[in-house]
Amino acid sequence: MDVAPIFRMEGISKRYGGVRALENAALTVAPGRIHAILGENGAGKSTLIKVMAGVVAPDEGRMTLEGREVKFASPSAANEAGIVCIFQELSLIPELTVADNIVISNPPKRFGMIDRKQQRRIAEDALARAGAEDIHPLALVKDLPLSRRQMVEIAKALARKPRILILDEATSALTAADVSKIFAVLKRLRSEGLALLYISHRMNEIAELADECTVFRNGRNVATYAAGTKSDTEVVELMIGREYSHIFPPKPPRIPVDRPPVLECRNLSWADRLNDISLTVDAGEVVGLGGLDGQGQRELLLAFFGVLRGLSGEVLIDGKPIRISSPAAARDKKIGMALIPEDRKTEGLMLPMTVRENLSFAALDLLARGGVINRGAEEGLIDEMIRLLAIRTAGLDIPVGTLSGGNQQKVVIAKWLMRHPRIILLNDPTRGIDVGTKQEMYQLLRRLADAGAAIVFYSTDYDELIGCCDRVLVLYEGAVKCELAGDDLTERALIASALDIDDRDVALRARMGA
Amino acid sequence: MSEMAGRISGRFPRLIRRADPAVVTAFGCILLLLLLGSLYSSNFLSLDYLLQQLKVASFLGVIAAGMMLVILLGHIDLSIPWVMTAGAMMACAAAGFGAVGAALAIPFGVLCGVAFGLVNGVGVAYLRIPSMIVTLATNVVAQGLMVVYTGGFSPQDSAPPAVRWLATGFVVPGLPNAVLVWLAVSGAMVFLLGRTSLGRTIYGIGNSERAAYLSGVSTRRVVMIAFAVCGGLAAFGGILLAGYSSKAAQAMGDAYLLPSIAAVVLGGTSILGGRGSYLGTVAGVILITLLQSILSVMQMPEAGRQIIYGVVIVAMLLFYGRAPASR
Repeated sequence: MDVAPIFRMEGISKRYGGVRALENAALTVAPGRIHAILGENGAGKSTLIKVMAGVVAPDEGRMTLEGREVKFASPSAANEAGIVCIFQELSLIPELTVADNIVISNPPKRFGMIDRKQQRRIAEDALARAGAEDIHPLALVKDLPLSRRQMVEIAKALARKPRILILDEATSALTAADVSKIFAVLKRLRSEGLALLYISHRMNEIAELADECTVFRNGRNVATYAAGTKSDTEVVELMIGREYSHIFPPKPPRIPVDRPPVLECRNLSWADRLNDISLTVDAGEVVGLGGLDGQGQRELLLAFFGVLRGLSGEVLIDGKPIRISSPAAARDKKIGMALIPEDRKTEGLMLPMTVRENLSFAALDLLARGGVINRGAEEGLIDEMIRLLAIRTAGLDIPVGTLSGGNQQKVVIAKWLMRHPRIILLNDPTRGIDVGTKQEMYQLLRRLADAGAAIVFYSTDYDELIGCCDRVLVLYEGAVKCELAGDDLTERALIASALDIDDRDVALRARMGA
Repeated sequence: MSEMAGRISGRFPRLIRRADPAVVTAFGCILLLLLLGSLYSSNFLSLDYLLQQLKVASFLGVIAAGMMLVILLGHIDLSIPWVMTAGAMMACAAAGFGAVGAALAIPFGVLCGVAFGLVNGVGVAYLRIPSMIVTLATNVVAQGLMVVYTGGFSPQDSAPPAVRWLATGFVVPGLPNAVLVWLAVSGAMVFLLGRTSLGRTIYGIGNSERAAYLSGVSTRRVVMIAFAVCGGLAAFGGILLAGYSSKAAQAMGDAYLLPSIAAVVLGGTSILGGRGSYLGTVAGVILITLLQSILSVMQMPEAGRQIIYGVVIVAMLLFYGRAPASR
């Protein structure tokens, strides 16, 4: 790298509660280069760019822009300094025109009114720079297809005259033709001297585009190298690393049963998020869902639980087709399903309510006679659950929000175990909880499976999937990419299929258990 | 605060230990108002006056009980005025149909209120219309129906004796029946909110409807029931009021919308739902009734009274009605 860097960050740390998202991370960005950032789920990439874009304030560390130290109080401060970010989620307002959207943060004014002519001119310029002259500036955003909207998003970023442009998974919604168009634009911007940061899970995109790459792992930058100097296998190994390992309970050998599977689905599809998924889960089996975050795992669990409308395909319980229309139907004794949702703070618990009220909330119908809660029965079941899961709480009548993250998660699980479910769906239950509690949870999962429960377990932690699951289905863009079990179930195989790398070498070495 | 609670817990019974600071403040304000009033006239501390105030408060109390259920869910019911009126008018009209009519007058009036409440509930829970809109619409529709009904022919509008007895009579000497009715409704509310799964669910939905839904609770049904109960109680309050003033009249409910909401919120119930105790609502009802009474005893002109009343309510809400949710 012979160009002087434009932006540098050093020693950046950020913690969320007890979880460290970034730990002493560093990054150097040079003008006229495309810098790719790679890493597993939760490696700290998103937090890093949020710090850069002023969305998140770091706990420690310093950032320098052209040698001067900077601090961003807000995204608009970062914008003014010339750092503009295009986030994964679109930020356009559908009811406004393209031109309105492009200048929305700082519209040109005349006599205090928006100058429409000027606005249109700015929008046309920006669209031309983004290589999207075919989009009419006065079209409504809601009338544009998704890929065109993404182009508008890029134009909007360019209209702010950035010196550093960050693209966070900006191509994930695009078709191949649009991607190549955007690549041409990005390469032109590079030749104009912009610094580009590019975050993507698509390895082939990175190979085509990037000048240099930085790999993140556990909140740290572990390696920076010039693009093309490392093979995919080496990159995957960098991303995995080996920092800590968990202790998992042994998996009992699977004995084939001739009963129909407890839970089965055939050709399940929903909107464009689930794509023809078929799977079976037997009693006593822990089936993992793998893949990158947001490939439809969450939707699949919600589909089973009766939350999604407009599903096509079939769900079978004990071999019999059934329509599950709501969570109330799913938890019914006939089905006996439980879902540990993704976000315990908003979906799993009512934080201001007491531990007692939260624990018995999902089982009130079993505890009440004629609508009146039987306090003795409630107390008994709660005691049993607190002992079973070793929930540490200062009492039953304190708000559940005052417990630690791990204990809150235990409460979410306990409230469902009170119903003795036969099918347990878990949506990343160990996110943001301490190692000790994780261990307890692995033991618990295996105990529940041994007792005959059918468990579907989605986790963003590959170690967990390997250690806990009998089989893992890797999802990619809403479809089952592959199924891994036994000796094939390795971290390399998981990551390779999650990234959709067509690398025989990786697959081969995975199979050999190397 | 928790350490303070810990220190107190040894000495006080459970009820006081768990008391909400907002409830304590509301009762404190009641005492303060009475003291201020007694500076003006010693009558404010007489038993007669206080019982009279409790009697007047009981109409508002019955209505606010229903309103509290809806507010706990994070919704609001603006159809109170005309659902009250409709309930009262229908009860009086039913009494015109001989002995059977007179016997069924009160249940019939309450049932009309439940019907309006069900419309609200279906609109909010199943059709997903914001409660502010659907209840406002119901209010206007109820008004129209009552105008058509009273304009076309001349129904009986004087309250039947049973209703008058319920509002103004005495079973226990010295204690007006209306206060007993309020006590009964309050007892039922405390039981509902504290001991039944419906009550738990209402708090749960108010805190996080998502979490309640994902816990397998039929949230929509619960929302509908709460609105129906609110409508029924509003109508019942209207019937009592008709008994008190011995006839049902148009616009009799207009003065009850803001007070019923204010009483609930002054009593410490979060306007966003999920938090609040029924005892607080009782305190809020008494507080508002006293405020109205003192202002009128002071012979403040109507306009001034309304200005002061409104300002005091806003000030009180600023003072403690907006305690941030714990997250």
